[in-house]
Amino acid sequence: MSDFFTLTLGPLREVYSKFVKFVPNLLAMLVILLVGILLARLLRLILLKLLQAIKFDSWSDRMGLTSVMRKGDLWARPSAAVGAFVFWLLILAVLMAAFSALNIQAVDRLIEHFVLYLPRVLSAALILVFGYIVTGFIGRAVLISAVNKGYHFAKLLAEAVRILLILLFIAMALEQLEVAPGIVVAAFSIIFGGIVLALAISFGVGGIDAAKKIIEQETEKQEKGKESQEDIHHI
Amino acid sequence: MSDFYQSGIITTLHTLGNPSLERLETELREHAKVRPIALVLPALYTEFEGNAMPRIVEELAKVKYLQQVVLVLGRASDREFSRAREFMKPVPGEVKIIHNEGKRVREIYETIRRNGLDPGPDGKGRSAWLAYGYVLAAGKADIIALHDCDIVSYSREMLARLCYPVANPNLDFVFCKGFYSRVTNKMHGRVTRLLVTPLVRALETLLRDGSPFLAFLDSFRYPLAGEFCMTTDMARTNRIPSDWGLEVGSLAEVHRNFSPRRVCQVDIAATYEHKHQTLSAGDPEKGLMKMAVDICKSVFRTLASEGAVFSEGFFQSLEVAYLRLAEDTIMKHEADAAINGLLFDRHEEAMAVEAFMKAMDLAARAFMEDPLGTPLIPNWNRVTSAIPGILEMLKKAVDEDNK
Amino acid sequence: MDKITSRKAVYDQLEAIRSADILVGIPSYNNARTIGHVVNAVQAGLAKYFPDQKTVLIDSDGGSTDGTMEIVKSAIIENYQSILIQHRNAPVFKMAVPYHGIPGKGSAFRTIFEIAEALDVKACAVVDSDLRSITPEWIELLIKPVLDEGFDYVAPLYRRHKYDGTITNSIIYPLTRALYGKRVRQPIGGDFGFSGRLAKFYLSKDVWQTDVARYGIDIWMTTEAIANNFRIAQSFLGAKIHDPKDPGSDLSSMLYEVVGSTFRLMENYHAVWKAVRDSAPVQTFGFQYDVGLEQINVDVGRMLRLFREGARGLREVWVDVIGRGDFSEIEALGAHPDEGFRFPLSLWTRVVYDYALAYHKKKLPAEHLLKSLTPLYLGKTASFIMEARDMSQSEAEAEIEKLCREFEENKDRLVNNWR
Repeated sequence: MSDFFTLTLGPLREVYSKFVKFVPNLLAMLVILLVGILLARLLRLILLKLLQAIKFDSWSDRMGLTSVMRKGDLWARPSAAVGAFVFWLLILAVLMAAFSALNIQAVDRLIEHFVLYLPRVLSAALILVFGYIVTGFIGRAVLISAVNKGYHFAKLLAEAVRILLILLFIAMALEQLEVAPGIVVAAFSIIFGGIVLALAISFGVGGIDAAKKIIEQETEKQEKGKESQEDIHHI
Repeated sequence: MSDFYQSGIITTLHTLGNPSLERLETELREHAKVRPIALVLPALYTEFEGNAMPRIVEELAKVKYLQQVVLVLGRASDREFSRAREFMKPVPGEVKIIHNEGKRVREIYETIRRNGLDPGPDGKGRSAWLAYGYVLAAGKADIIALHDCDIVSYSREMLARLCYPVANPNLDFVFCKGFYSRVTNKMHGRVTRLLVTPLVRALETLLRDGSPFLAFLDSFRYPLAGEFCMTTDMARTNRIPSDWGLEVGSLAEVHRNFSPRRVCQVDIAATYEHKHQTLSAGDPEKGLMKMAVDICKSVFRTLASEGAVFSEGFFQSLEVAYLRLAEDTIMKHEADAAINGLLFDRHEEAMAVEAFMKAMDLAARAFMEDPLGTPLIPNWNRVTSAIPGILEMLKKAVDEDNK
Repeated sequence: MDKITSRKAVYDQLEAIRSADILVGIPSYNNARTIGHVVNAVQAGLAKYFPDQKTVLIDSDGGSTDGTMEIVKSAIIENYQSILIQHRNAPVFKMAVPYHGIPGKGSAFRTIFEIAEALDVKACAVVDSDLRSITPEWIELLIKPVLDEGFDYVAPLYRRHKYDGTITNSIIYPLTRALYGKRVRQPIGGDFGFSGRLAKFYLSKDVWQTDVARYGIDIWMTTEAIANNFRIAQSFLGAKIHDPKDPGSDLSSMLYEVVGSTFRLMENYHAVWKAVRDSAPVQTFGFQYDVGLEQINVDVGRMLRLFREGARGLREVWVDVIGRGDFSEIEALGAHPDEGFRFPLSLWTRVVYDYALAYHKKKLPAEHLLKSLTPLYLGKTASFIMEARDMSQSEAEAEIEKLCREFEENKDRLVNNWR
């Protein structure tokens, strides 16, 4: 009979002792969660105050950041949005800390990977922001000079340049993120090369006549333009 | 029903003979192709429950020359906003309702405020201003017409007559204000009859060098009429008072920015009936009294900006001159009432003049304390230069709300 | 940059001359075709009208490679007081190709001012080296008002073809006139007279390392003179015909340079121009007569085509600069057929003011901003050419006067939105 008891209680006891060992971890997790959330809230509050002090909202109104948010039908204040973003980032960190307090190996490894990955996310984000600015600048420069030269497809051209640049920067960012790096590079080369090839074919085969016409028209226009421009002094 | 006498420095367009509404609307449809018209309606939700609004909607349903109707809905919850949208369904064409208390529009005000510009407190001025902003952002209309939503005697002829002078490109008017007689079984429009007109004339006698603005203001038969029509260009450059000085202050801006030759007034209705304000002589923050104070302040400030110099002594002589003129005016109106068989309560009229005197005194004191204090809402040019994307944001906000 | 007057060869020459009454400067760069004529006209003018004064001629060359200097040397009468300066650091000047005339025109002018100061001259004149229509009288007309009437600055006034000088006529003249309240008809004429006092004032300004020194010198000189209350006059010089300009300089860079310089000066003198209302004429010397001008052929269709391409392609940029309301007007114009195409004066005024404001607020990089003005400017120019087709010289001038008044009346837009 006692055998039976030991047989049944044994595992139970084991579970119990494991559980007792685990309780401090659990408690630690709860404490970390609680303190972390409080801390995150406090930090958000400080951040909001700071952003208010430097008039971040008004700055982003003028810089067009707010406009971008509104276009996406987001109607929070820019500072509140930044606050929320930072808050959830902190909560994420707190969650990670809390889970690691549980001392489960699988979770630990996961977190380690994640932390090591963060700098890459950051540099990818930087590449995207930088790319956005550069793309806008170059796209506009191409557009303005093409329009001033009177190319009928100025907008198309500028848009094409913009899309190619965006593709380039996205590919760079993905490369940074190490999302299947081989495939990204290959895909980019294929798309980029494909576009160029498509243009070449459409001009070369599909529309020799059309291309010829456009080119002739442009040169004709330019020649005519030169004649007439010599006649009138703008200054 | 009136004579064809031209008085003052602006053009007066009368109702002569029996003008055909059909012809007017046909012409307007043609003109609107070149100069599209937007109708702006400042409204409170309570007005949707009154008896004026159903009639206005019924009449607007028959109007075919409007490019867009922009109704600014004040003091409404989200549910009331959707109800108002249902209510406006019969009106054809593009109808946008601006949800003044909605979270998106509130955020627009907030954006403007945090950039150091003050759109002022809630009121007709701010509502109209916001609607102009939307019309500018949409960029579809060249002309804006505006009238209140408490006109019980509304007819679409009023609207047609209001729009016509600005819409017709051959006439070259940039601003047109409505006028009408406010008569039922007695004469209404006390503030105009007993405050504005005598005040303007008293000022004219006292300011020795004369004032172009006073001459301009005195040319209007009903300077406080809330119905007018203007080019969108004007909506971009004119500043709007956020208080009861709205009508007078707006006229001051028109005068400041445009030649009187391009301004007219038009007879829009034989009868006109709307909600009446009660005289609250005791409380300067309420009703007719607040209105009178704001109007006086607006007049004083405009004159000061023209270069007139005011002193304690000046205001004392002004009160005397005003009182004399107001008393004369009461007598004139009494005679007018008598021949037309209208009720005329002389005592009530005298009470009103007394209250207006008090208002003038309060306004004078406020003016002396703070001659610059101006409740003008900045014009849209100013706002867009501070926040380049604001019009796009406003358009997005309204369009989202109306989805 | 070193002072040119401290250079040994120049210093020796200055020592020998010691002082002078009148100085005429000719900045040059590859003008072999025309400079001989210009030098001859200047010398004749000085000899004929100022025989009793001590005069000096300066050629400030930006590094010509076509033998300009040799022609100048051979054209100069023996024993004539003259200084020829070739800038040694010429390659630097070549980097910025100016809208017309020579590279580094500003630096050439600086040299002239420095010599004017060193010689303590009473009056100076500068004339372009690519002029075909210069006569000896020009020197008299540019110098006399300074010498005899006490003026500090003499702007030129030319009889030009009604289609010519459209950037001046539709932007620079109305804008400077509305801004500073003086009706100087050719603020960027290129030929000026000025007093020694003003030359010293110009030198005291620390702008020589900026863009002004590269190409904005004409408008800079005019604006500085007006804004600092120097006495301004203009002289009627007759026809202005100059050598066809460098085909490499395109219209949009021209706008970028000239209009950009004008806008940049608005930043410095905001305090001056914000208070100015209306405008006053300036005293004008010289007998005004009509001159026969060559027929000019213009391809209006091409201009309108470029304008329409602009309205299609530059939508976002223009909406950003001039706002939705005005853009819809532009869009409507774009849909208008060639026949009867008219760019309203009021709209053009708002466009220019809005561009000035956008420049001030740095809404776009300056080069993008100003180059995006090109199609709008072409639309306005095409409209003017069609309107003026059957107009006489004076009728066309009255049209420009109308535009100027529009600029003056709507100046509030600029003043009120300038923050």
